[in-house]
Amino acid sequence: MSLPSFQLLRPKSLDEAVAMLARHGGDVKIVAGGTDLLPSMKQKLFTPPFVLDLRGVRELYGIRSAPGDGVEIGALTTLSVIENSVLIRNDYQVLHEAVKTVASPVLRNMGTIGGNICLDTRCLWYNQSLLWRQSCGFCLKKDGDLCHVAPGGKFCWATFSGDTPPALLCLGAEIEIAGPDGVRRTPLSEFYVNDGIVRLSLAPHEIVTRVFLPESAARWRGSYQKLRVRGSIDYPLAGVAVALKMNSGRVDDARIAITAVNPAPHLLKDADVRLIGMVPNEEVAEAIGELAASTAKPLTTSALTPEYRREMVRVFAKRAVLACAN
Amino acid sequence: MLIIEGFKMKKELIELRVNGRTHELAIEPSKLLLDVLRQDLDLTGSKRACDDSSCGACTVQIDGVPVLSCTLLAASCEGQEITTVEGVADHGSLAALQKAYGDFGGSQCGFCTPGFMMTVKWLLANNPDPTEDEIRNALSSNLCRCTGYSQMYQAIRAAIDAERKGMNEELVEAK
Amino acid sequence: MNNFSVIGKPIAMIDAAGKTTGAGRYADDFKLPGMLVGKILHSPYPHARIRSIDTSHAKALDGVVAVVTGEDAPNPYGILPVGHDETALAVGKVRYVGDHVACVAAISEEIAERALELIDVDYEPLPAYFDPEESMKAEADLIHENRLHNIEKDYHHVFGDPEKGFAEADYVHEARYIANEVTHAAMEPHCTLANFELDPHTGTLGRLTVWSSTQVPYYLQHKLSLVLEMPMSQIRVIKPLVGGGFGGKSEIIPLEIIAAVAARAAKAPVKITYTREEVFWAHRGRPRTIIDLKTGVKNDGRVTSVACKVVQDGGAYCSYGVVTILYSGALLGALYDIPNIRYDGYRVLTNKPACGAMRGHGTVNVRFAFESQMDEIAVKLNLDPAAVRRVNLLKPPTVTVNGLRVLSYGLPECIDQVITRSAWQERKGKLGRGRGLGMACSHYVSGAANSIIRSDMPHSTVNIKIDRDGGVVAYTGASEIGQGSDTMTAQIVAEVLGCDLSRVRVIAADTDLTPIDLGSYSSRVTFMAGNAALRAAEEVRKNIISAAAKRMDCAPEDVIMRKDRVYKRGSIAADHDTGAAEVLGEKDAARGRVDGQILRGSVLQTRKEEGAKEHMSFEEAVVSAIDFHGALTGTGSYAPPMEARGGKHKGAGVGPSPAYSYSAQVAEVSVDEETGEVTVHKIWAAHDCGRALNPVAVEGQVIGSVWMGLGQALEEEMVWKDGLLMNPGLLEYRSPSSTESPDIECIIVESVDPEGPFGAKEAGEGSLAATIPAISNAIYDAVGVRLREVPFTPERILAALRVKKGMKKIEMTASVDPTAPAKFREHGGSLWFRGKGPSRHPLDPARQPAHAGGEQ
Repeated sequence: MSLPSFQLLRPKSLDEAVAMLARHGGDVKIVAGGTDLLPSMKQKLFTPPFVLDLRGVRELYGIRSAPGDGVEIGALTTLSVIENSVLIRNDYQVLHEAVKTVASPVLRNMGTIGGNICLDTRCLWYNQSLLWRQSCGFCLKKDGDLCHVAPGGKFCWATFSGDTPPALLCLGAEIEIAGPDGVRRTPLSEFYVNDGIVRLSLAPHEIVTRVFLPESAARWRGSYQKLRVRGSIDYPLAGVAVALKMNSGRVDDARIAITAVNPAPHLLKDADVRLIGMVPNEEVAEAIGELAASTAKPLTTSALTPEYRREMVRVFAKRAVLACAN
Repeated sequence: MLIIEGFKMKKELIELRVNGRTHELAIEPSKLLLDVLRQDLDLTGSKRACDDSSCGACTVQIDGVPVLSCTLLAASCEGQEITTVEGVADHGSLAALQKAYGDFGGSQCGFCTPGFMMTVKWLLANNPDPTEDEIRNALSSNLCRCTGYSQMYQAIRAAIDAERKGMNEELVEAK
Repeated sequence: MNNFSVIGKPIAMIDAAGKTTGAGRYADDFKLPGMLVGKILHSPYPHARIRSIDTSHAKALDGVVAVVTGEDAPNPYGILPVGHDETALAVGKVRYVGDHVACVAAISEEIAERALELIDVDYEPLPAYFDPEESMKAEADLIHENRLHNIEKDYHHVFGDPEKGFAEADYVHEARYIANEVTHAAMEPHCTLANFELDPHTGTLGRLTVWSSTQVPYYLQHKLSLVLEMPMSQIRVIKPLVGGGFGGKSEIIPLEIIAAVAARAAKAPVKITYTREEVFWAHRGRPRTIIDLKTGVKNDGRVTSVACKVVQDGGAYCSYGVVTILYSGALLGALYDIPNIRYDGYRVLTNKPACGAMRGHGTVNVRFAFESQMDEIAVKLNLDPAAVRRVNLLKPPTVTVNGLRVLSYGLPECIDQVITRSAWQERKGKLGRGRGLGMACSHYVSGAANSIIRSDMPHSTVNIKIDRDGGVVAYTGASEIGQGSDTMTAQIVAEVLGCDLSRVRVIAADTDLTPIDLGSYSSRVTFMAGNAALRAAEEVRKNIISAAAKRMDCAPEDVIMRKDRVYKRGSIAADHDTGAAEVLGEKDAARGRVDGQILRGSVLQTRKEEGAKEHMSFEEAVVSAIDFHGALTGTGSYAPPMEARGGKHKGAGVGPSPAYSYSAQVAEVSVDEETGEVTVHKIWAAHDCGRALNPVAVEGQVIGSVWMGLGQALEEEMVWKDGLLMNPGLLEYRSPSSTESPDIECIIVESVDPEGPFGAKEAGEGSLAATIPAISNAIYDAVGVRLREVPFTPERILAALRVKKGMKKIEMTASVDPTAPAKFREHGGSLWFRGKGPSRHPLDPARQPAHAGGEQ
């Protein structure tokens, strides 16, 4: 399968990249690691006139920590670099756990944190070749006017299938976005839109440039539980991230997020209310499991049935809470 | 003949370093590294097998790190050191890993083998004495449909031993 | 103890270096000057008439050299003589989403892909059939006009007296089992390069050469000849390295013919390589199979009767289907002693890609049902599952009730081995909640005793040429596909000739150079091509020995060929090594001459002066033989003996084999009862391969088979939505990764078959079938749920666990296993039925082509 033709833009600095984006507006697709975009371009899901390759923008690589001020991760930092970072492993356990489950080791050498955050939503009716999609009359998300997953509606249920964003949500991460009007910073929790087509609050000429992990979430206990069929390569079919701030056996603060069951990753509402002050035992964990399952709205967008995936959100949320407690 | 506007992009001149040699190439910006290696440089050791970045048969190393050449634009690799399976054999003889894959049945049909060479070589470069789990994990980027991976573990263990003893000594012993 | 020098030794494959260095060449690695890229247009409809095809816009595109359609090659073909129901490109009708409609040959892949979008096909959609049991009810709009009720073939066999057998039984067990569809997923996508030469005498297109990823080069040559209407002698098929087959390349795949048709039209070499999605459409995998199985037993587990009904969802073309449905019934026999059998098999057509032969062809799914049922019976009668197997063993030599001859039979030892290694007696049922052991057995043919086209001609022939350089060249039509057939040939020839393995060069699978061999399928190569190689080598050996006997002045019986030397019995100790220098003499050695440079003027001249010798180097013996006999060549061929060719009933041709391999396995698993996830910790697999010619290769084949069975058992499944394959890629069709692939211990059992080459039988397929029921039985041992539908996905297991525990039912599985909801769930789709098919969007903005801007 060949890629559709395009003109390649290769900026050497962020300023240059932003200027190029401003010039070409919505005609550009940004490529970093390429693991999400290029297979989709082979399937002609995207046929942009321009592709902007960020690999030359050196300033967006690397993990930096300022004592007492959290950690800053450049958007082009590969998932392998994050996985192998002692700092991340020690201080942001939930991210470490999540990042090491992404795809496969080689794909983690390519995929970037920025790419994982901006991952396109996925669906069995969408991530297919042009002919395949043609043979069922296309779908809402691309070239069509009907959703095969929920045929009555006009809503796209394609599923957000990133592993690191739920972990980042648990850490209260913020992201920096650069655009023609300068740089803005936003909590990651406000970045996602629960709609398989809209997906992100990101204008076509904007780039996610950095991720900030606050000092306040450092050294929280963390666990990420991922549902997949194979032990490697697969996207998540459901995922639960839990981060707990523990204080002599009791929960001081807590965040729980789920992924791969909705068009966006979600922080569970009221998880902190339910957990603060509690000893995270089996019973407490069970209740969190129920809460997580009630937030999950999986449909038949991927392998395994929605009912099973929802049930696993329940089980995994429980297990993640218990894993943090121990 | 018909000419279609915007259908074919102009070729660009790029320089690629592959297996220690520099090549000047005129390629379309949309061309994948795998296609440039196979079609323009006749380095057909790297294989295309999946189209969806899941199988690892096209794995090459860029600056010593294994990546999928089917998921990289060739033009993006300018200025970096690309190593393909053709660059693994040293000084005209089989690397210990290559010999061991033959001896222990790590390769059957062989189609996935070049990809495995590139990932395992990276594993051993960074971790000369990997545990069973570390080997298993490192192999999990590449799919093999023949071996069930079992004989690869033996081969990798043997390669580690052979490296330790020194390849030359090993050859003498074999005689 | 045997005293072989090359046989039985763990030897690296003779082509291993090419594979580890990337130097080895597969079909897609070839290129020719002026070569074009071929791309194929596929049907977006599962079943439709083609009203018209307009290729004019595509032909007009710059860079397009030719566009071909069904009209360019309308002759039907198929792998079976009874199933000539395919054409290279659709003629008049398409029968599945992905059916081949047209092909563009262009100067680049991009242009060819773009040209496909310019081909205008006018389709008239027809009602389509996706479920085999529904399809069998069809009265009109048949998939093939001459196949009533869309039934490709049905067989109804009765052996012994099944009813009497059931009447005699103490207990009768009956259940339905389902195995979903799986595919080979070989790593190499199919690829064919076709090139015509100009004929110097006529000045027009002459001979055709085809490089193709095939397991069956001679069948390809034959079918090309049928479709292109050319004599076979004008067609040369070359099989380069093949990146895995598993049956997926064991018949003619459309692109193999299309490439030649396109090359003929383009008057230039054309290469077509399937995308991975196209590989899934080409398919020919293991069909979804519904098995209704009934077994009657005595209280000790002895089987009195078996009744089995099998329905296979064969897809849109016959392919190997008739053979598959026959194997499913025939190989109920030859594993255990079953006195009475009734078999009803239906091969049904549906509007999906054709199923065909896949590793363990026809036996795997039925074996899953049978071995599961044996376990169910053991539980019911409170017997040890191993004891139930032992009480039903065959007593060879024997001929089974359905006419299969069994000579060597290593199954008892296989069972003993896995029982011992897994500590079955001590551990079975005692591993604690959630962990268990399960066992199962299987078997497979070592090649079919009757070829697809019935004849008495040889199934395999091997030629050997030795010349005065001392090099041995073996010419074999057998197809190396990674299983080690070239190495096997080299080993047998080297062993017989007593020469060094490095002397033997194997030229394989090139129809111009090598004698006919039926191909690499049904595990026939070691047994048949191996026997042919053995006979060819023996013929050469006889000539060398007779000359050497003269030269050494002794009886031919006293000439020994071993370790690259030829010597008189008793002259020197067998383990004494004579170096080249000794033979060449000091003068030659001083000149730097090495072994292998013996020509006239060196050894030959000294020989004349020397008189009778005690020993010779291999070359010296070869030169003597050429002196004595003239050219030194040998030919050997193999056809299975009449006694092994089976009974006389309709369909009796499938199932008989000169020998059967046997396998027994124990799997150890644990089940997470909250998630339904299964972890396979270890599988012990004992396989009777007759004699292991190369233990590394045998282990590789056995482990690979077990592992592929594991994939089918737990992860692999082609998921269909009304004829649309939901997972046509390696990302969503999940072939196991290293992380969940268990430790597999292979135990080789050598029964030494009386007719196999050095006693060898098959090793590449027979172990697959036992793995699936071994895992299923282990799951039962672990958590007490019986899975009757493959694969055992976590959702199926969890659903069954919840039923067992009386928990609230969660509608978790979308299929037909006994614990699942009755109705197939509707997830949208089905657009063809609603008149909303692909024509809804003729103008997809993403592929807006191609409005021709410029001038010609």
